[in-house]
Amino acid sequence: MRVLIAEDTKDLNHAVAVLLSRSGYDVDAVFDGEAALEKIEENGYDAVLLDIMMPKRDGLSVLREMRARNVTIPVLMLTAKSEIDDRVEGLSAGADDYLPKPFAMKELLARVGAMTRRRTTYDPTQATFEDFFVDGGTLELRAENAVRLSLKEYELLRLFMTHAERPLDEGFLLEHIWGGERSADGDTVFLYVSYLRRKLIQIASHAEIAGERGGSYRLTKSA
Amino acid sequence: MSSIYGDQYGRLEETMEKLLAAIDGIRDEMSAETGMDPVEHTLGRIKSEESMREKCRRQGLPETEESALAVLHDAIGVRIVCAFLDDVYEIRDRLAALPALEIVEEKDYIRHAKPNGYRSLHLIVRVDGRYPAEIQLRTISMDTWAALEHHLKYKKDIGGNLDLITGELKRCADELASTDASMQTIRDMIRTM
Repeated sequence: MRVLIAEDTKDLNHAVAVLLSRSGYDVDAVFDGEAALEKIEENGYDAVLLDIMMPKRDGLSVLREMRARNVTIPVLMLTAKSEIDDRVEGLSAGADDYLPKPFAMKELLARVGAMTRRRTTYDPTQATFEDFFVDGGTLELRAENAVRLSLKEYELLRLFMTHAERPLDEGFLLEHIWGGERSADGDTVFLYVSYLRRKLIQIASHAEIAGERGGSYRLTKSA
Repeated sequence: MSSIYGDQYGRLEETMEKLLAAIDGIRDEMSAETGMDPVEHTLGRIKSEESMREKCRRQGLPETEESALAVLHDAIGVRIVCAFLDDVYEIRDRLAALPALEIVEEKDYIRHAKPNGYRSLHLIVRVDGRYPAEIQLRTISMDTWAALEHHLKYKKDIGGNLDLITGELKRCADELASTDASMQTIRDMIRTM
């Protein structure tokens, strides 16, 4: 599990980062809103912790930008006690949770744990990206033509859609889709990415999965 | 009553044989290159007198030699059933490259599947500048679906929930198409290992 923390107070940033990495998370720490957006572009995260008051770009603006770009990674807002309006605004702008400062580290850990808990069931909803549509109820993938996906293909595609236009590396994909399966490796990832590529062509979609075998893969609209 | 094909039936058979021989040539070529015969089976037929006349009537055409041999294109019909998806297009390309054969029309119902789920690549070709022939290229999966769907068609007028049946047949077609994509991907993977 990979977590991004964006907090400009150096001590707090450091304390949270250390706590999370000791608890087994891979942590990236940044100190302003612009750096947070850059990191989100570069990597896949399971959760993002955003301070509201930050230089260059505040947390609410980062959150709005993420949601505008269809980034659906869970976000925990860190707010000062007086910022009630900010909390409300944050939640309505798409934050999943907030934590008023000062907070107990124990509580922070519990909230991050709840946000990143691996879903044991697949997502049965419908979703679209560019010109294609996928239905979790029937596992149908459709643009001009339709095909049916296997459960693994479906979960992988939904993961790509959650992180659309951003590269996801093999390790991230393996952990999220094949977590715990020892026989899965980079070849497995490549094979399933190849299945999805073929099927996107087959339904005559203009979306594609970019990236080379062994590297990172990214769902994108084709050039 | 004289034949709708006039005295041309023998020439039609000759043309069909020539076409089948050309396809066999492509099969041999590809087998030699890859070590695998890309074709599962081929079928050739001359449309029966009865169904050709029926088709003319259906399309409002006079039941003449002209209609059967020039206006309609499927007096000669050939089906090529391939193991893998990519072979369908490879064979199309190799047919197109034959000097004696001209592709007059192409309808790609694989790229643009029919609403009921039917998939095949249809070509209308002319052999030696003479009679047109229709070639249907498809994979084993597509052929399976078309054959099974054909069996069920006869029962359509019995009634019942037609939308449900149509939807389920479409789902089967899409699942088979998905399997074709997976099998092709697996073959590609094996070839890079």
